[in-house]
Amino acid sequence: MENSKGSMAAISVSLKLATRALRQNLLSTLVAVFTVSLSGGLFLGAWKTKQSVKLAFAHSAGGFDAVLGARGSQLQLVLNALFHLENSPGNLDWEQYETIRSHPGVSEAYPFALGDNYLGYRLVGTMPELFLNHQWKSGTNYQVRSPGRIFSESAKEALVGAEVARELGLQLGDRFHPYHGLEYNPDRKHNDIYLVVGILEPTGTPTDQVIWIPLRGVQTMEGHDPEEANSISGVLLNLKGSSGLALDVKYNKQGDRATLAWPVPAILSSFFNRFAWLERSVAALALLMALVGGLIILATLRSTMHERRREFAVLRCMGASRAVVTGSILWQSILLSAFGALGSWIIYFLLSMAVSSLIHLQIGVGMNLPMLDGMALLTGGGILMLGLVSAWFPARKLYRSSLQESLNPHG
Amino acid sequence: MQFLSVENLHLSFRSPNGKSQPVVQVPAFSMEHNQQLAIKGPSGSGKTTFLHMLAGVLTPDSGQVRIDGQSLGAMNESDRDQLRSGMIGYIFQSFNLLNGFSCIENLLLAMSLNGASNLDRARSLLDKVGLIDREDHLPGQLSIGQQQRVAIARALINRPKLVLADEPTGNLDPTNTDRSLELLRSLCKEWGSALILVSHDPRVIGKFEHQVDWEELNQINGSKEVEVGKQ
Repeated sequence: MENSKGSMAAISVSLKLATRALRQNLLSTLVAVFTVSLSGGLFLGAWKTKQSVKLAFAHSAGGFDAVLGARGSQLQLVLNALFHLENSPGNLDWEQYETIRSHPGVSEAYPFALGDNYLGYRLVGTMPELFLNHQWKSGTNYQVRSPGRIFSESAKEALVGAEVARELGLQLGDRFHPYHGLEYNPDRKHNDIYLVVGILEPTGTPTDQVIWIPLRGVQTMEGHDPEEANSISGVLLNLKGSSGLALDVKYNKQGDRATLAWPVPAILSSFFNRFAWLERSVAALALLMALVGGLIILATLRSTMHERRREFAVLRCMGASRAVVTGSILWQSILLSAFGALGSWIIYFLLSMAVSSLIHLQIGVGMNLPMLDGMALLTGGGILMLGLVSAWFPARKLYRSSLQESLNPHG
Repeated sequence: MQFLSVENLHLSFRSPNGKSQPVVQVPAFSMEHNQQLAIKGPSGSGKTTFLHMLAGVLTPDSGQVRIDGQSLGAMNESDRDQLRSGMIGYIFQSFNLLNGFSCIENLLLAMSLNGASNLDRARSLLDKVGLIDREDHLPGQLSIGQQQRVAIARALINRPKLVLADEPTGNLDPTNTDRSLELLRSLCKEWGSALILVSHDPRVIGKFEHQVDWEELNQINGSKEVEVGKQ
């Protein structure tokens, strides 16, 4: 009981000495905490952003298993059809749509056509059934904000994605002229006028970044090639069971007119693998910064130790044990690291929010809010370990140091 | 039984050229409870080293120190730490207050090293040394004389049986020297603490009834026994 009381008192004194030392060396404390926070935050941010973006992309595929498009790159097809990025690799004939729609392995098939924009936001032509029948997320259909409705197949009407409506201030009853091409060019305005009849509820997917119009609208837009009036950019597909394998053989291995992008998650993975070098570079940079953080903690401790050498000697004269003075160095490091870990989480949170809003703004993919999960806690633990390792050598040196030298004894 | 006794205390330091250089060689020294003793001697002659050995901060090459019946040589480091925190108060020439701590916190820290915490006692002692109105001031915000009074209060806060004062007035002007000495001696007397003060200042030494000449006590080349009060 006495011993444990004494130990608690020793810990309390060590902690008090450590907090005062940090406060007395506020500038170097802040620099050390900032550096450690930055390295931890970048490391965590890079890691978690990669994970979240992957997850967000996987969840933002709009509930489709595959995309059929012109012969070309599967990745380009997926990015173009589901994420509304990149250019269309080409067109398909209407017959190809009808062929795949009637395939027994296909449960859903929605043709789409691209080629126009409104103030930089893509116009995608498709069929109203997409919004009536398709579940973009398990058990969830698209919802149109009341009192709007889905466009009619034969009218010049538009259903506007939530983000487009917010950004452009589009409301029910507004009319607009589409512009030719996927990029906005004020000189390429079509004469057609479209009426906004509905605004979609937000989904956190690229659907929010698109203005949806009838398929015929894109095909027959004034100025488009009449010979292309029966062509489409691709078909969004949901497949039954293992039919993907058979269709893959049919279109990709044996056929030469179209490409089936399937399975979408694997294609997205290949997309992210392209950035593996970037991921490795960021990880290497973060590790380098962690090393710098550790060295800064070490330098901070050594510098304060030098200044506090006499203070430690005085404390020993007053009866402080070696454990108390050594403990104060360890506490100092633990506190620096703990603030560093906290700072890392804050930087990670801010970084993730920034990346999340940037990605959402650019391509409409919504990311989950950053959370203090296992990896974040592990990084915090790693920072604490780094601090303890950095403190080990100065603490050991202090533990072994002679009081005689510090007190200048030849009085 | 003597409160403090020293037998054949010897300590050498290794000089830069590698030779062993004796610094302290005290054949015998003793003092009673509650006594107040001044050791006079020039700077750099080993007086502080002697005090450090009395406090158990330094371990002698040979010989022994007994305080209140306990032999320091027979104690382990932890026991000596406890002895210092509870039984010994140490006052430095340069005060050595902890700069990041206020006056009252310096006292409370010394108490906590002895496993105690008593704000009222700390405030009462600060009041005795005339600094209660400065209790929250940092050492840097005090005059030299005030700092030394805080140092005296810190050394006495645990009511030690032995106070070791190493040139405590070396940095003070005559007025503050007199005031600090008076304060130190009266508090030691009031609380029954023995006091050993080392100084090179004859004016300070002259205020003590019991005086020892360090150059006679420290017999690097000879031998002499000193029993305070029976010289």
